[in-house]
Amino acid sequence: MSAMRIFDPHIHMTSRTTDDYEAMYAAGVRALVEPAFWLGQPRTSVGSFVDYFDGLIGWERFRAAQFGIRHHCTIALNPKEANDPRCADVLDVLPRYLAKDGVVAVGEVGYDSMTAAEEKAFQRQLAMAVEHELPVLVHTPHRDKRSGTQRTLDVVRESGIAPELVVVDHLNELTVGLVAESGCWMGFSIYPDTKMDEHRMVTILREYGTDRVLVNSAADWGRSDPLKTKYTGEAMLAAGFTEDDVDKVLWRNPVEFYGQSGKLLLDPLEQAAPTGETFEGNSVLRGARPDSGA
Amino acid sequence: MSGLRLGYGTNGFASHRLDDALDVIAGLGYDGVALTLDHAHLDPFAADLPGRTSAVAARLGRLGLGVVVETGARYLLDPWRKHQPTLLSAEPVARVDFLRRAVRVAADLGAECVSFWSGVKEPGLADETAWQRLRDGVSAVLEEATERGVRLALEPEPGHFVQHLDQALRLRHDLGSPELLGITLDVGHCVAVEPVDAAECVRRAGALLFNVQLDDMLPGVHEHLEFGAGELDLTATLAALTGIGYTGLAAVELPRHSHAAPEVARRSLAALRAAEWTGDAERRIAADPASVRTLFPAAGRKAGRAPLHPETDPQGLVHGTRDDEARGRLLAALARALPPEDLAKEVGELYRYGDGAERRGVLRNLHRLPTGDPEYSVVRDTGLRLVEDALRANDTGLVAAALGPFAAAHLDAHSWRHGVLKCLFVGVPVAAVAGLAERTDDELVRMVTDYVAERKAAGRDVPPDADAILQEAGQ
Repeated sequence: MSAMRIFDPHIHMTSRTTDDYEAMYAAGVRALVEPAFWLGQPRTSVGSFVDYFDGLIGWERFRAAQFGIRHHCTIALNPKEANDPRCADVLDVLPRYLAKDGVVAVGEVGYDSMTAAEEKAFQRQLAMAVEHELPVLVHTPHRDKRSGTQRTLDVVRESGIAPELVVVDHLNELTVGLVAESGCWMGFSIYPDTKMDEHRMVTILREYGTDRVLVNSAADWGRSDPLKTKYTGEAMLAAGFTEDDVDKVLWRNPVEFYGQSGKLLLDPLEQAAPTGETFEGNSVLRGARPDSGA
Repeated sequence: MSGLRLGYGTNGFASHRLDDALDVIAGLGYDGVALTLDHAHLDPFAADLPGRTSAVAARLGRLGLGVVVETGARYLLDPWRKHQPTLLSAEPVARVDFLRRAVRVAADLGAECVSFWSGVKEPGLADETAWQRLRDGVSAVLEEATERGVRLALEPEPGHFVQHLDQALRLRHDLGSPELLGITLDVGHCVAVEPVDAAECVRRAGALLFNVQLDDMLPGVHEHLEFGAGELDLTATLAALTGIGYTGLAAVELPRHSHAAPEVARRSLAALRAAEWTGDAERRIAADPASVRTLFPAAGRKAGRAPLHPETDPQGLVHGTRDDEARGRLLAALARALPPEDLAKEVGELYRYGDGAERRGVLRNLHRLPTGDPEYSVVRDTGLRLVEDALRANDTGLVAAALGPFAAAHLDAHSWRHGVLKCLFVGVPVAAVAGLAERTDDELVRMVTDYVAERKAAGRDVPPDADAILQEAGQ
């Protein structure tokens, strides 16, 4: 079997270690998208978002590159924090970031608790995606998922954005059908326990096929596994899918979806192990550093 | 986008069969071709000319390419003497006959015009005689053009009798301003021989501009160069074409680059698209200054990120990069559009919300803001704040960009000296420091001397740039 090439279309590397980067590279991950989301600890100001966004386009991209992985991100006000009036003004700053290289979508947007404030932020950010000609990554609520997904699709349709520019994420057996019919892309987060596992994913792929499907690990600061993409590929092969099917789901599909932004950076990186290179003077190395002349 | 129609001259594909050249040019994304009739490319003296012309027309149609006919082939009429005979020759019949053929070919191709030049005036030929011959020849070709409804475009050519735009316009006037006679402008020629720049030539030609050739040149040197290798302001030139509402083809003219035609054509199109985007962005900022917030970040993607002088400055630390240059134009456009307070705020925010490349783009171009104007002191203060911020960083790109002409003019002596010392520390070539010789003072020399002594005491290498500063100061 030839080595898999993997593009994880949804993973929060800011919360992960360098061990993860090394294991991901070894598993075949060469590119990823890190959506802007909440950090566990709630933010209380716009400045906190801006520093986070700067990290997504700056330090984290540099860190990933040190491990041979191309890092892209999506930028948005997430649904949970859309409910905090101290954070809502970040919407005015978003256009500056949506124009930047490597920012390949608006996201994560959508509903968390189905509030009016969430809906307003969701609608406004869908309009920004239309204006900036960017795809959108839509989060679906963990509670009341089926009706939340239906409502999500209604808001997407009303926005006028083309369905092929939208991925609706965190789907399961009960919500995949709605999204399949809508023409939007179907995103699946493969977790150790909740949401979806790799074997249920294979069953869904058998029923719905491999078109418009994105499989991600959604690994973050919670219990999660950045290699779930690879395990899904292995489960697909074990279930009789071809290597080409796996390549389509784990590489070509995310490239096609996020490629619609025109801002993917996929030329191969030279090194897969950290060098003495620095980002604004900081290196990922510890201890001895190559002499920089200082 | 402004949407100029960009083409490529087939005389730059002399090593390709014409059909292959058309496929490559269309495949790269060009909108048209400037087709030079020549031995190997739709030979106008071939026996089966009508059949071949209609085959070429069909291929152009299939590929969606527009076409203009060029007549500058070197040895088509006389195998011994380049470009002979011309309309100025005592026996110009072969030239007139050829141009009339070219008009018929153009009509059959559905070409947008036929381009031609006057020819070189032989020593000893009186100006008045030359002028008369030229009028007669052009009149004869105009007869054919009128009959076929084809436009003619006279190209001022360096070294030829008609080498300046003014002369071409005068000839047209002398002939009674015939509607079908207009101008071909080679924008590189403008750099080489015109008294004003190419953008101004474009505006002067105005509605009489029928055909445009694109290339770079150096003043006084008639040598067609790739974009960036000469002194043409490509962005301003393309913006001028958009400004006059030019709708014809603008085709790259690099007749001495056939040996690497596909690569040269690819690079040329990238340079043209970058310049077109930049000019378009300048116009958008003039109309809506807030649009700079999204245009400024996009400059790397749209204008490129390569260093301007990769051979001598591979990291772009000394001369900057293509996106640095494009961002400089956007900042200059912003400065024209905003009053001082607003300008200072906007520039500060471009830096604050910028990634590394955007910050570098602000720093490297601070001197393009009117910071010497007392009314703009608030902009100068903002610039100083940004330079000081950058000099606190260890990012070599930022440190290098911070010590440009703005810092040379405005940064206080203490900060400036420490900036230079930081260059030695982090490995920024001091060639990146603007005004180094003028601003080097005793205190900087002392600091560098101490630094060198410290390195030597520790048994470490001394950066050659440190020695260079000391030598320059006579130490």
